[in-house]
Parts: sequence; C-alpha cells; structure tokens
Amino acid sequence: MKLKLSLAAKRSLEGLGFVTPWLIGFLIFMAFPLGYSLYMSFTEVQVTATSINFTFVSWDNYVHAFLGDNVFPVQLANFVKESLISVPIIVIFSLLVGLLINEDVWGRGVFRAIFFLPVIFSTSQVITTLFDLGAGGGSFIQRFNVFSMLINALPPSLNEPISAVLSRFTLVLWSSGVQILLVLAALKTIGSNVYEAAAIDGAGRWEAFWKITLPALRPFIVLITVYTIVELSVSPFNQMLGLINSHMFSVRTGMGYAAALGWIYFALILVALVIVYTVGMRKVQRY
Amino acid sequence: MRRLLRMDLTQLVFTAVLSFLAAFMLLPIVFIFMQAFKPLSELFLYPPRFYVMNPTLDNFSQLLMSVDASVVPAVRYLFNSVFTSVVTVAVVVVVSTMVAYALSKHNFIGKSTILNMTIMALMFAPQAVIIPRYIIVQRLGIIDTYFAHVLPLVAAPVSVFLFKQFVDQVPDDLLAAARIDGASEWHILFRLIYPICRPALSTIALLTFQSAWNTMEPSIYYIENEAMRTLPFFLGTLTSGLANNVAGQGAAAAAGLLMFLPNLIFFLVMQNRVIQTMAYSGIK
Repeated sequence: MKLKLSLAAKRSLEGLGFVTPWLIGFLIFMAFPLGYSLYMSFTEVQVTATSINFTFVSWDNYVHAFLGDNVFPVQLANFVKESLISVPIIVIFSLLVGLLINEDVWGRGVFRAIFFLPVIFSTSQVITTLFDLGAGGGSFIQRFNVFSMLINALPPSLNEPISAVLSRFTLVLWSSGVQILLVLAALKTIGSNVYEAAAIDGAGRWEAFWKITLPALRPFIVLITVYTIVELSVSPFNQMLGLINSHMFSVRTGMGYAAALGWIYFALILVALVIVYTVGMRKVQRY
Repeated sequence: MRRLLRMDLTQLVFTAVLSFLAAFMLLPIVFIFMQAFKPLSELFLYPPRFYVMNPTLDNFSQLLMSVDASVVPAVRYLFNSVFTSVVTVAVVVVVSTMVAYALSKHNFIGKSTILNMTIMALMFAPQAVIIPRYIIVQRLGIIDTYFAHVLPLVAAPVSVFLFKQFVDQVPDDLLAAARIDGASEWHILFRLIYPICRPALSTIALLTFQSAWNTMEPSIYYIENEAMRTLPFFLGTLTSGLANNVAGQGAAAAAGLLMFLPNLIFFLVMQNRVIQTMAYSGIK
C-alpha cells in the first residue's frame, strides 16, 4: 500500500516536472497577458514617452463599444452574418470532399495532399498578401454573371455578406484543409462490418449514407464546426481583428478600448461555440 | 461484370468532381507563380489574364535591386529567419511533447485546469494580448535579442493539443513494460513516444515551422534593431513600399513568391507523413 501511494506520488511529480517548462511559458506569455488585457479593458490607457498610465473607467469601454462606436457594432454584425454563411459552406465542403476521397478514387494520395495543402497557409502572411493581389477568386468568379444576378435578387442586408463570401470563395475553400482530414479520420472509425450488415439487410449506398455514415459522423461534424469557427475568428484576413488592431494604436481610443473589444469578440465566439456544442451533442444523444 | 462497370462509372464521376475541386484549390498557388513572372504590361492588363504570356525575370532583378539598396544586407534577414525558425521548432517540439505526454499519461494536480486553459487560449484573439506581451518582453529585458523571437511562441496551445491526441493512442501497457525494464521518463519520451508518434512529430514541426517562419509579430513589436528582424518583415516592408507605386507591383509579386516558397518546400518534404498521421490514427 505504501509503495503504491509513493509510486502514484512519484508519477504525479514526474508529470508536473514535464509540464513545468511549458507552464511557465504559458503563464508568462499567454495567461498573464490575457488577465492583463481584461484589466486593461476596464481602464483608459495612455502611453507617454516615459510610462504607461492606467485610469480606471469601469464599464465605460464596453458601453461605448455598443452605444458610442458607429463602426464596431456594424462590423460585428457583418462578421456574424459572414460566419453564418462561411461556416456551413466549409463544413459541407469538407464533408463532401472527405467522403469522396474516402471512396476508391484514382489518385487518392495526390488528392489528399492537394486538399491538405492549404493548411500551410492558414495563419500566414502569404494568404493576406495573396488576397491583396486579388487571388481570392474574385476575378475568377466575376466571369460567371450568374452570381451577380443571384446577388442582385437578394435583399440588401444579405447582399453584402454573401458577396463578401463569394469574392473570397477560394479562400473559404482554402480554410478546409484540417477539416477534410478530420472527416477522413472520422470515417475510419466506422467499421466496414456495419456497412456489410446493412448491405445484407438490403440497404443501398444511399440509405447506408443517411442511416449509418451521417449519424456516426455527427460528433465529428460538431468538432469540425467548432474548429472552423475558431479558425475563422483568428484568421489573418478577419476584419474584426483589423479593427481591434487599429484601435490599439489610435490616440483617441487606445489600448484599453481595444482590449474591451477583444473581450467582447472573445465572449461572442465562446457563446457561439457553446451553442454549437450543446445543440450538436443533444442531437447525438437522441439517436 | 455489369457491377464492375458501374463501380468504375461512379469512380470516374468522383474522380472528375475531385479533380475539378482540386484544380480550384490549386488556382491561387498557380496564380502566385504566374504573377511573379508577369511583365508589367501583363500585370495591369484589363481584363486581368490568369496565365503569363511572356514570362520574364525582371520582377526578380528589380526586387534584388531594392534589396541591395537596403541598409542591412538581405543575408542577415535570411539568417535571422532561418535561425529563429529552427530554434523555435526545436524548442516547441520538445516542450509541447513533454506537456502532451504528461497530460496524456500522468495524473497530477491541476491537470484538467491546464487542459481547459489551453482550449481557452486557442480561441482568444491574438491581437488583444500584444500590448501585455510587449510589456512582459520589455520587463524580461529581451528586446532586440533572439529570445524575443522564440520565447513568445513557445507556449503554443495548438501543438500540445494535437500531440496529446496521438500520445493518447499509445497503449499504457507498453509504457508500463518499459518502466519495469527500468526506463526513465525521459527514456520513455524520447525512445518510445517519439518513434511511435513520429508522423505526429512531423505534423507539429510543420505547423510550428510555418507559423514561426511567417510571423511578423516579434519583428514589429519586440525588435527595434533593424539587423535583428526577419525576412518576412523585410519583404513585407519592401512590398508595401513597392506596391504603392505602379512599377513596384512586379517586385511585390516576386517577393510574394519568395515568401511562399519555403512553406511549400517544407510542406512537400513533410506532407506524406503528416497526412498519414492525421488520416489514419483517428480521433476516437
């Protein structure tokens, strides 16, 4: 008994030891800055040549963000609308491609590599540069007048986000690298014997897809959706981050306000994730 | 026989659909290459043309000229970039695999707290922590040193997260057997976990390399000495200066290609392994 206890204690100490270097880095460069920015969001920060001064303003920054600022709420609403369109597109696209690659197609390995390729640009400067150069598919899509007809037929409130998504159609598809691999990994978890049993019972491929594949994929679809939301929210061509950045060094508003915007944004994403997670998982349990 | 024929038909359709989508995915990459070799007249052609008609190296020579004109030699930026990226990859891989191993196979106080913290950190907009980070970097006195390039990237939640999924797959019995045979914890990590999870190692190395190679944050915020800045920053300032005038567009496109190439090469070297990891070891 005594030996067992000390062994467990030893294991625990070893674990802590392995975690320590990372934990120190994490506390210094992640946790502390996060806490600091929360504190800053309740202050007005003034940077002078010699020092940084904080004046406590309680909830003023948050109130101003919604009542005084005429850019932030509009951009936030646009971001929400755009995400509501992009996220389903990415999730459905990656599902589709994942399912297709999982079939016995010719040149599977090549396809897997091509669809994974975008991953290497996901957080990079290159993608923003590309976007500036106009490679986002804009000129490509403009050739198909169908899209512009489609857009004109919509009410103006939907018009703007949809054309924004279409104008970077390729980039939206480019965000699906990891998701496709997640779908492939998920498909591997369904045993082939399930499909054999279904085939013996007379189910076709179509029925097998709806009754077996899709329900089995559901938790992974939730995972993919969560991943996509996170990826979109921190992607380099996200306008919200640009807005927060511009406030950071603005003389009029400053870092305190930027920090408050950052936390509002963070809270919004967190709420979205919680909703996706609870709704998605509840559906799973019903099955 | 008929069944075989039908199978081939569906396969054909699937392959066709995938090829179409793959072509769409590849377009931007082809575009970067095309753009870099376009002469000025074609860059401003209206309507814009996708393919280059008269490929030229002018853009590169123009880029070289403006590179020559800079105060700090370009080789210095290149050295800074390569050095900091390599060190960052090495440190991040060792540190995050240590955490991932501990989180996966050990029990200790505060384990779930650490896990939850990494998830929260994944979501937070990086922009909002730049200022506090700057204050910390300044207090640590590592402004204008290579530490400022490496240390802020060490606490990477993504690689910990990813690697933990793969260590979870390693059977506990195997580790127990190694312990009975007298292996130390370091031994287990380096001699057992690393070989077993080698594809996962490649994956996090690839992801870390690409973020370390591309990041401009340290060069912009923590470095004041021009000679300590990295290549992407240099090319970035160069292109934003060049892109403002019409003649500079070509050089900007060439710089874009140069920034992009190391990512592509590293990807091609690593991709086979990486993809096998992600696709075959499953999440469950």
